[in-house]
Amino acid sequence: MLPHRSRLAVLVFLTPPLLLYGVAVLLPIVQSLVLSFFSWDGLSDMEFVGLANYTRMLTGDAVFWRAFGNALGYLAICLVLQVGGALVVASLLASLRRGREVIKTLYLLPAVISTVAIAFLFQRIYSIDPAGLLNQALAAVGLGGWQRPWLSDVHTVLAAVSAPEGWRFVGLYTIIIYAALLAVPRELEEAARLDGASSWQVFAHIRFPYIRPVFATTTIMAATYALRGFDIPYLLTNGGPGQSSELITTYMYKTAFTSTDYGYASTISVFIVVECLVAVGLILLVLRRKAHR
Amino acid sequence: MTTYAPAKAPARAGGRPHKPRRPSRRPPSPARLASRVLVGALVVVQVYPLVWLFLTSLRTERDFAGGNPFALPTSLTFDNYARAFGHGHLGRNILNSLIVTMGANVLIVLCGMMGAYALQVLGFRFSRVVRALFLVGIVVPVQIALVPLFVDYTRVGLLDTYPSMILPLAGFALPMSVYLFSSFFEYIPREVYEAASLDGAGPYRIFARITLPMSVNTVVTVVMVNSIFIWNDFIFANTFVLSEDLKTIPLGLQNYIGAMGKTDWTATFAAVCVTVTPLLLIFLVLNRAMIYGLERGASKG
Repeated sequence: MLPHRSRLAVLVFLTPPLLLYGVAVLLPIVQSLVLSFFSWDGLSDMEFVGLANYTRMLTGDAVFWRAFGNALGYLAICLVLQVGGALVVASLLASLRRGREVIKTLYLLPAVISTVAIAFLFQRIYSIDPAGLLNQALAAVGLGGWQRPWLSDVHTVLAAVSAPEGWRFVGLYTIIIYAALLAVPRELEEAARLDGASSWQVFAHIRFPYIRPVFATTTIMAATYALRGFDIPYLLTNGGPGQSSELITTYMYKTAFTSTDYGYASTISVFIVVECLVAVGLILLVLRRKAHR
Repeated sequence: MTTYAPAKAPARAGGRPHKPRRPSRRPPSPARLASRVLVGALVVVQVYPLVWLFLTSLRTERDFAGGNPFALPTSLTFDNYARAFGHGHLGRNILNSLIVTMGANVLIVLCGMMGAYALQVLGFRFSRVVRALFLVGIVVPVQIALVPLFVDYTRVGLLDTYPSMILPLAGFALPMSVYLFSSFFEYIPREVYEAASLDGAGPYRIFARITLPMSVNTVVTVVMVNSIFIWNDFIFANTFVLSEDLKTIPLGLQNYIGAMGKTDWTATFAAVCVTVTPLLLIFLVLNRAMIYGLERGASKG
C-alpha cells in the first residue's frame, strides 16, 4: 500500500468502477428482487402481490418444473462433456511430448465463434433432409437406423441442444486443468511409479488430489455457465418441440419479452440466481469434504 | 514420464518385427499410441465443423443441396460472399460490433484498472466488502438484469442505443477485470511505490506513470478475453436493440434465415466466415496472451 494515500484518492479511483458496476449489475439485481413481488405488464400500474409469484412458480406451474428438469439435464450433459472431457483431454495432453501448444489452440477454436454461428452450424449438422453431418456419419459407420431429425425428436432434442454448449467450451476447461496438471510435482509421480503404482493410481492418488482446488473452480465455472445457458437452446429450438428443450432461462425470457409478465419473469430470474448459488455451495461442499476425508 | 513407456513392448500382430532402434525413436507403447489417436480424434471433432463451415461458404448452392457434406467442393465460388454482403447489412453489423466491443473494452480496462488500484495499491478499510461485491457479479447470471435494465432503459430513453449494450456487457465483465488487474498489481514490488513516493509522486502520478505503463500485458489479456464474449454477445443485443441500424453481427446473422425455412445457407455461412475471421486471426496471433489470461483468471476465481 502507498505510504501517502488519501481518502480522496481512494474515492477518485473507486467511484467510476463502482458507478458502472452499480448501474449495470447491482441496481438491476435489487430491482429484480423487488419486481419479483409485483405483478406488472410494463404498461398498467404495478401491483404488489406478495409471495403470489413464488407460490405460482413453485406449486402451480407445470412448465416451470418441466423447464427445471430440462435445465438439470442440460447441466448434467454440459458438466460431463466439459469437466469430464477436460480432465481426460488434459491428462492426455500432459502425456504428449510435442504439439501441445498447437493442440491447445485448436481445442479452443470453437470458443471464439458466436453462439448464433454455432446454432447455424448445428442446425445443419443435425438436419435429416438433406442429411446433415451427423446423420451421414451414422450411415457411413453402419448405424443408419439411428438417423433421425435430432432437433424435432422429443427424446433427443435436449441432448442435441446441450451438446453444442459442451463442445464449445471443452477447450477452455481443458486448458485450465492442463495448466494445473503441469504444476503437479514430477518427483511425486516418479516416486509413485518406482513403487509400482499404475497410471490410474498415479492419477487418482497424486494428480487429482493435487489439482482438486482448480478442479473445483472449473466445475463451478462450468456449472454456473450451464445453468445460465441460453443462446444455443433459444436459437436452435426456442424450447420446442413443445417444451422438450425449454430451460428455465428460455422460459424466463419468453415470460418477460413475449408474455410481458415482468413480475413473474423476475421471480424466475431470482430462482436462476438461487439455483446458481446452491450449485456453487453443493460443489464446494462435495469437493471440500472429499479433501478432508 | 518417459522412463516407463518402453517397459511393455507393443505386441503387434502383423506389423514389421520389432527392432530396437535408437532409444529416442522407439515405437510408442500401446497406451501412448491410443492416447495420441484419441487426442487426434478430438482435434478432428473440435476443428472439423469449422473447416466444414469454411468449405461450405465456398460451395455452389447446387453442390451444397445435393452433395455429401464430407466431400470437397466440386468447384469453388466466391458468389456466396458477394451475396452475403449484398443481402444483409453486413458492413453495418460489423461496424456496430466494433463500436460496442471497443466501447465496452475501454470501460472494462479503465474501470477495472482503477478499481484494482484502489483495492490493491491504495487499500482502504472496507476493501473486503468491495471485493465481495465484485464477487457477486461473477456468480450471478446475466439474465437477472434483463428485465430491470429493459424497464430502466425505457424510462431514461436508452433503449435501442449503443450504451444499452455496452453498459451491461462492461458491468458484468468488470469483476473479472478487477481480479486480473489486482492479481497483477500484487507483483509490482512495494519498493517501486515507496521510491516514487519519496520522490514526491502522489497516487495519481504513480497510477499514470508507473502502474499504467507496467500493465500493458495484462491489458492485452483482459481485452482479448472480453472481446470474444462481447463480439459474440447475443442476449443483451437481442433484448435491447430493435432497429436494423444498431444490430450487431450476431443479430445481423439471423437476417439470413429466410421466411418459411427457405434459407440461403451458403451465403449464411459466407457471412459467418466473414464475421468470425477477424476474431480468429487475432486469436491465433495472440492466443498465448489469452490462454495465459484464462489460466490466471480461473485459478483466481
